[in-house]
Amino acid sequence: MKTRAAQFVSGIGIVMLLLLISVPSQAQIADATLSGTVTDPSGAIVPNAKISVRNLNTGQSTDTQTNSAGLYNLRNLTPGDYEVSISADGFGTKVAKVALSGGATLTIDAALAAPQAQPQLPPATDNLPNAPSSSKTEPSLEDLGFPADQTQANAREQALLDKRTHMLKIHQRMGLITTVPLIATVATSLNAGGKNTSTASRDLHTALGAVTGDLYFITAYYAIRAPRVPGTETRGPIRFHKAMAWIHGPGMILTPILGAIAFDQKSKGEKVHGIASAHGPVAIVTAGAFGAALLSVSVKF
Amino acid sequence: MLLALPTLALADGQWVLEQCTLTYHVSHPLHQTEGVSHAARGKGTCHAGQCDFLIAVPVKSFDSGDSNRDLHTLQVTHGAAFPMVIVRTRLPESSATSATLNVDLEIQFAGQTAQYKQVPFKLETHGGETHITGTIPATLSDFKIDPPSLLTMPVKNEIPVRVEMTWHPQ
Repeated sequence: MKTRAAQFVSGIGIVMLLLLISVPSQAQIADATLSGTVTDPSGAIVPNAKISVRNLNTGQSTDTQTNSAGLYNLRNLTPGDYEVSISADGFGTKVAKVALSGGATLTIDAALAAPQAQPQLPPATDNLPNAPSSSKTEPSLEDLGFPADQTQANAREQALLDKRTHMLKIHQRMGLITTVPLIATVATSLNAGGKNTSTASRDLHTALGAVTGDLYFITAYYAIRAPRVPGTETRGPIRFHKAMAWIHGPGMILTPILGAIAFDQKSKGEKVHGIASAHGPVAIVTAGAFGAALLSVSVKF
Repeated sequence: MLLALPTLALADGQWVLEQCTLTYHVSHPLHQTEGVSHAARGKGTCHAGQCDFLIAVPVKSFDSGDSNRDLHTLQVTHGAAFPMVIVRTRLPESSATSATLNVDLEIQFAGQTAQYKQVPFKLETHGGETHITGTIPATLSDFKIDPPSLLTMPVKNEIPVRVEMTWHPQ
């Protein structure tokens, strides 16, 4: 019995170790980002410039265009060698070859060549009756009177958001993974703390609890270290999710401490007594708060 | 994100967007989500029988009721790099009299430009103001946006945008 329990604990340990290894590995091979600003010879920004990047290894191309502030941002690029082509109506085309490494953000600013004389094109005949036009009477974004800080691109904030989302995705996955040993730990507690319990049962419960704790704190790390976005007020279900952390966080610290005391008492043949008798109730409250936190962002109540 | 057009009979006149509510709808296997913005601004100018309309709304202005979800939305739509949704369309002044209007829209969003042909809108005119309602059949793939996922399940590609606008002549 003891041998089988030990094998089971070892198996769980190996699986969890693989899971722990897999998450950082995923982060290490993160995709690359290419961004920059496109200007004309006078230094003025060029909105709607076309940026095309072609992976020289796979031949796959990705396109985007600059926004009203002349900025572009291409994300989720597989690390490798690329040919970058930047062009805009009335300007020449800039071509550059770059090497993108995993997780890196490369900035390529381009000053396009002077405008070229444009041939007079005949009116389009295939436009639908109310298709968007290039009429000189068209209102512009400036006509709408938005404050400049609302219309201008903020590459730094985008990078902050990208990092935040990346870390919270790992937080989410690790939280789900943590649920498995957490449930198993609670389930095995029935055989670990009663009058007629075996050493093997306590060992199994202890091992599962240790795995749960390790995964939990990795999960918490990615939430705590995810960058905050200035000026953002916390609203909605995420407030409850965060509030629950003030319960399951301390609980995840207290539960193993109380558990260690209880384990020691049981190993000496004593009945669990004193502060150690709070191990079970604290663990249940902790697991409940963790589950509530998970549900609060998963299901709409 | 959207546009619609007043029944424009103003030769060389202008239209101003007085009130606007834009609502996007996102479907996930576990729940449905809506994000609302009242921050759109718009203007229309008419000349030589044609009216050009422009409507813009900050991506940040959409509120789904959860700040975490809104930040993820901002990230996945590259809302800091491309902070505005911009909609353009043109209508002939002669299209003014009907109760419905099929509009071609050009929408810039998330660094991409998508065109929607013949999107139906309903028009009601009261006291010189034109109230316009309709739904734009937008999708994530139109703007090359990777569908965000929750609990490993991605949201649906369709993100219809409900448009309610009130325009008045200037």
